[in-house]
Amino acid sequence: MNELFLQVTVSGLLIGGVYALLSIGLTMIFGVVRIINFAHGELMMLAMYLTFWLHSSHGVDPYLSLLVVAPAMFVLGVAIQRLVVQPLLEAPALMKVFATVGLYIALQNLALMLFTADFRTIQTPYASASFRVGAISVSEPRLYAFLCAILMILVLWAFLKFTLVGKALRAVAENRTVSALMGIRVTRLYLLAFGMGSAITGVAGTLLLPFSYVFPTIGSIYTMVAFVVVVLGGMGNMLGAFFGGLFIGLVESFSGTYVSPAIKEAAYFVIFILVLLVRPQGLFGMGKGNEEVGLK
Amino acid sequence: MKRSAMVVLMMALVIPALFAALPAEAGQAPLKIGALYPITGSLALLGEESWRGAEIARQFRNQKGGVAGRQVEFLRADVPDVNAAKSEAERLISRESMKTLIGTYSSSLSLGASEVSARAGITYFELGGISDQITERGYKTIFRTCPKAQQFSKSQMAFSRDWIGAQLKKKPAELRVSLIHEDSAYGSSIARNLEAEAKAAGVPLTSVIPYDSKAIDLSSVILRLKNDKPDVVVAVSYANDAILIGRQAKELGLDIKAIIGTGGGHSLSGFAEALGPGSDGVFNVDFTQFEVNTKFTPGLTDFVAAYKKAFNGPPRSGHSLTNFMGANVLFDILEKTKGDQDAAKFRAAALAHEAKPGTSATGWGVKFAENGQNVLAETFLMQWQNKKLVTVWPEGPAVAKPTLTRPFSK
Repeated sequence: MNELFLQVTVSGLLIGGVYALLSIGLTMIFGVVRIINFAHGELMMLAMYLTFWLHSSHGVDPYLSLLVVAPAMFVLGVAIQRLVVQPLLEAPALMKVFATVGLYIALQNLALMLFTADFRTIQTPYASASFRVGAISVSEPRLYAFLCAILMILVLWAFLKFTLVGKALRAVAENRTVSALMGIRVTRLYLLAFGMGSAITGVAGTLLLPFSYVFPTIGSIYTMVAFVVVVLGGMGNMLGAFFGGLFIGLVESFSGTYVSPAIKEAAYFVIFILVLLVRPQGLFGMGKGNEEVGLK
Repeated sequence: MKRSAMVVLMMALVIPALFAALPAEAGQAPLKIGALYPITGSLALLGEESWRGAEIARQFRNQKGGVAGRQVEFLRADVPDVNAAKSEAERLISRESMKTLIGTYSSSLSLGASEVSARAGITYFELGGISDQITERGYKTIFRTCPKAQQFSKSQMAFSRDWIGAQLKKKPAELRVSLIHEDSAYGSSIARNLEAEAKAAGVPLTSVIPYDSKAIDLSSVILRLKNDKPDVVVAVSYANDAILIGRQAKELGLDIKAIIGTGGGHSLSGFAEALGPGSDGVFNVDFTQFEVNTKFTPGLTDFVAAYKKAFNGPPRSGHSLTNFMGANVLFDILEKTKGDQDAAKFRAAALAHEAKPGTSATGWGVKFAENGQNVLAETFLMQWQNKKLVTVWPEGPAVAKPTLTRPFSK
């Protein structure tokens, strides 16, 4: 069953690319702002609705709508950081958790009220288009999503590596107290990080929509995936989130095909627990040198 | 002075109280019924659709003077999950003193809520949940107007064996049938039935593939099917997963002769909208839908007109019609008890209540078995043809002929 094996690998990698992008959005917020954003999937849900709306009432191609969705999500992210998270920065960690959980419930129910519980999909000529490489079929929108995700990740990586702001962001992620002492304006970078995190998540949502669907409660599914990926890759670690995303995509695909589609979620949660037991800092976690994340 | 002021005060207090007590004549008070439906959460779409049907039945009945001269009122409770279903049933019974509950769309919600009501000795009238278990727990106060899960499997296997088998010129034993099902109570109970019905029909199942309906990638289901090479796929899906399977089947070039859905997602107009021409040829076994021989379903046309007026659009699935039919049966029975909701009297009236097939808006007859199941509730086969779900089998309610079109190929 070599063909099947290849097909399963390709399918897993393609979806894994989008998981990676989604998780990088979460890990960005996680790593810099040190907040567990439970409303992460909801941000993506909102981006998906925005894409849907741009397509259905203005005929904007979903890939083109990235130009609107990403800035809009950036602004929303900054607003959330400024209005919800910033006032709670010095509050106990549990308060922050409650705040983002509250945000998640509020956004979900707001969406139920505004958009109704209907499933929305968009019709594009390439929605279920695919091409064949030998015996393998590759879905076009999934491939586009994968390629866009990789491109985004490369751009982000270059930004963090080579620009001064990027370096400052990494510095804050590593140690916020020392960063502040070095003259970095930490609260401003928090705004930037939350904004960028939600913009990236928004892009992931837009990329998913051409071959998926959106409904108000879809966010929680993706929040779970993103959490697993982020913990797996090491909290706050971009590279870890990238490989974690691909890995979860493959685990889903392989366990689904070779064992049973019913257990694929179970499969990656088992791996998740094993990682927590054996290597709690995650596969790519930096361990002790890094400032601790979590309920502190 | 003081005393007269007291008297005035007393009068002011007592007289309105007397008046308030006066109109409480038994015949005039509204007849209250508790209604449990998921209006929020992941089951909200079809939960809300189901509720609309019952609500229209209530409005129709009230326009015609209500039940036993009393207006009917629903006390609606939102039950997005099983815990909510149990606690809301508890609340409606103990705090609102409801004597009759209706619901529930989802089988797992129904099982939870009806367990609570049955233990309190309260009538539970299920209009839409299909799990066999609902009426098989030995309770005397649970009734169901819609077909149970077993009926769906029976129709699917009979159709596969008799019609598809004949088209492909294959004997039942040569037919390759795979089953894919979502793995909650809904899908699993149907899957168990289907395995039994397949055996009874002499058709061996090639494979059984469970999956999670909340998954966002189901390529593994399609890849397994490609490997198993079935002629016919029987699918038990909710809304989103049915669409996802269709899309990924097309992407991955799945080559099958026919797919037969089991109500749920395959009956929604959203399914055809999302898949476009790819939905052509997809079969579905379900509660009665709207493209049906209306001579067989009196009242359906009025229902659709009322629905369009109330909700600014055509019904999104047959769930509303099913609940409309069921609520009407409930009102008919309550009419016979003269509005008395005592569980024992209700049971006696329900068991005595009968109607012939072809006399209700769904085309179903009514006859309750001892366990509370309506044995005259039927399921029909439909097919998506040009984005319309037309009834194709059996001949009574059919409005078009079935065709063998490779699904998800366009």
